[in-house]
Amino acid sequence: MSEHGTMLTEVATGLLRDRCTPEDVVAAEATGWSERLWSALAEAGFPYVSVPEEAGGSGGDVADACALLAVAGRFAAPVPLAESGLLAGWALAAAGLELPEGPASVAVGRPGDVVELSGGPGTWRLTARVQRVPWGGRSTRVVLLASVGGERYVVSAPTAVAQVLGGRNLAAEPRDTLSWDDVPLADEAVAPAPAGVDADALRLRGALGRAALISGALARVAELTVRYTGERQQFGRPVARFQAVQAHLVTIAEEAELARMAVEVAARNARPDPGSFDVAAAAAVTGEAATVAARAAHQAHGAIGMTKEYELGQLTRRLWSWRDEFGSERAWGRELGRRLAEAGADELWPRISRGLVSA
Amino acid sequence: MQFGATPLTPAEESLRAEVRGFLAAELPAGHRPALGFAGRYDPDFSRRLAARGWVGMAIPPEYGGHGRSAVERFVVAEELLAAGAPIGAHFVADRQTGPTLLHFGTEEQRRRFLPGIAAGEIYFSLGMSEPDSGSDLASVRTRATRVDGGWSVTGTKVWTSEAHRNHYFAVLCRTSPMEEGRKHAGLSQLIVDLRADGVTVSPIPYLDGSHHFNEVALEDVFVADDMVLGEIGSGWQQVTSELAYERSGPDRWLSTFPVLREFVREGAGKAVADDEAAVIGRLAARAWAIRGLSLSVARALDAGQVPVVEAALVKEVGTRFEQDLVEALRGAAETEVDQGTGTLFQQLLAEAVLTSPSYTLRGGTTEILRSVAAKGLA
Repeated sequence: MSEHGTMLTEVATGLLRDRCTPEDVVAAEATGWSERLWSALAEAGFPYVSVPEEAGGSGGDVADACALLAVAGRFAAPVPLAESGLLAGWALAAAGLELPEGPASVAVGRPGDVVELSGGPGTWRLTARVQRVPWGGRSTRVVLLASVGGERYVVSAPTAVAQVLGGRNLAAEPRDTLSWDDVPLADEAVAPAPAGVDADALRLRGALGRAALISGALARVAELTVRYTGERQQFGRPVARFQAVQAHLVTIAEEAELARMAVEVAARNARPDPGSFDVAAAAAVTGEAATVAARAAHQAHGAIGMTKEYELGQLTRRLWSWRDEFGSERAWGRELGRRLAEAGADELWPRISRGLVSA
Repeated sequence: MQFGATPLTPAEESLRAEVRGFLAAELPAGHRPALGFAGRYDPDFSRRLAARGWVGMAIPPEYGGHGRSAVERFVVAEELLAAGAPIGAHFVADRQTGPTLLHFGTEEQRRRFLPGIAAGEIYFSLGMSEPDSGSDLASVRTRATRVDGGWSVTGTKVWTSEAHRNHYFAVLCRTSPMEEGRKHAGLSQLIVDLRADGVTVSPIPYLDGSHHFNEVALEDVFVADDMVLGEIGSGWQQVTSELAYERSGPDRWLSTFPVLREFVREGAGKAVADDEAAVIGRLAARAWAIRGLSLSVARALDAGQVPVVEAALVKEVGTRFEQDLVEALRGAAETEVDQGTGTLFQQLLAEAVLTSPSYTLRGGTTEILRSVAAKGLA
């Protein structure tokens, strides 16, 4: 990690340790959102890390943003950090649109979504219905991609004029359906989409962001499980002394480290944008890691892990949600496999053996 | 615990390109790849590899080696294993015996053995397991008693890979009786010539019918004092440090990679089905991530660290991956596995099904590794 990334991690960890305790996360469940935490993060400039300073962001690169997201994952932070910077902020800045006050989110275009932009400068109108937008109702703006007469546009859609149908993932994080019914848009909300700002790029960034969140949460799951099994006594000794329990601890450590390695390589290789092999591989690895480690951690914890107040469940419910969002491990594995099969057998090893590339 | 992602330097990348060029010339298209470091035994190949400076890389130049880094060894090893090169003759001497001799051997032993190891001409087996001693190595019963000018060794070693064609093996034995509560004391390592008087090597047929394993009976075998490896009584410390060296390299996660490559090759030109694509992608992604961990251990070794827990984790997860790959591809291929006929992929799949159970046994079982790692995690 760069010196900048290390410093960012330290500062963010301090902030979240104070403002995002397990009690805070439980307290935020009703709304899936912590205003107090968001304000503190916004004041520190964290939501727009990786968005250029000249565009109103906080600067830094994708690796910095992912380092920050790993910290957010570790603390189960109930705020749209990935959506604001790595996704919406990137698209807005690339299109020359202003960053909003407050959080921003994004619709990557899923089956059944409708986005219809019409008119032109001075007469823009939007009719749209987009589903499962992370913190959609809590965001000031939602970034949409639209086409008019063969031209592609980035739309910074104001949520104040949208209808919001609340949904939530397994961790009660908002995943809302938003509708705009023929609303007028200011010229400042629409700009041509530059090359490279498209649904595929958003999906890559979304998947990398989820992978980073998962890697942070897994590191915490590993710590919690080591601690708990070292304290919990049965048959007159800590359960961590039993080989069967040790096997769970080793499994969790391995999956957490695989996830961390995958995210670090994918994020640091993003110069400036994440690569499709790296992200597909990282999403495949972290999705499987989330599944395997969550199962082992619950088994090692026993019934305490099934209680809502205990920290483990806050993390595992997120792991079970994040692994599916922006594409499941199987979807990414399939995409990766198809691409590798097309490239051919003799390209397989050269591709697998290309890890972190020198800057 | 910290596995840091690390890139290859331009010099390491060019070493990799050289090895790829060498292998492209050595191994004809369509050759039957070896599965893992023990997959094929070819002394001629070992010598040609050594002539390029890619055996004995850990050995300093004054002993005929090349004084290369752990990462450089990693780069060469992963290219050889991914290509399925026949490295079975020299690999154990190169990976394990060479570094042990360098650390614990006498000056005379280093001069006697290391140049031959680096030349790809002297091959070693490991003399650890016995009929009643596997994971609990301290329970070995082979004993050496003091005689004029050396030791007389008696006992039986088993599962001794390639003893019928290697030159020497390092025998772990008792040089003083086991004392209550100090079972790791009194063990020593002796270098035994596999053709010496009193040594009887008998084949133990391997699961796939090949001759790989042996029983090596030692009956009053004379071992001169100058063949004591390291200190008398320090055998346990030496052996456990050896196990740490051998633990986390590419040989622990690449053994079955050629099966995946041939699966992809046979699908070439056809539209790949969803199920097959998902299996290929998942396995490739996991290999990519495991490689990152394994490489970071090599980098840590070069920085003078002792990543024992990390190495145990890599071996545990890597060898399970090697097996997992075989089953995943069997599932995707939906074929009746057959040893005798079939395409190259099918032949490799058959070999992999029959040999892959050994991957989570050799060099420390999965169960032992979990204990080592779990102690380090607490």
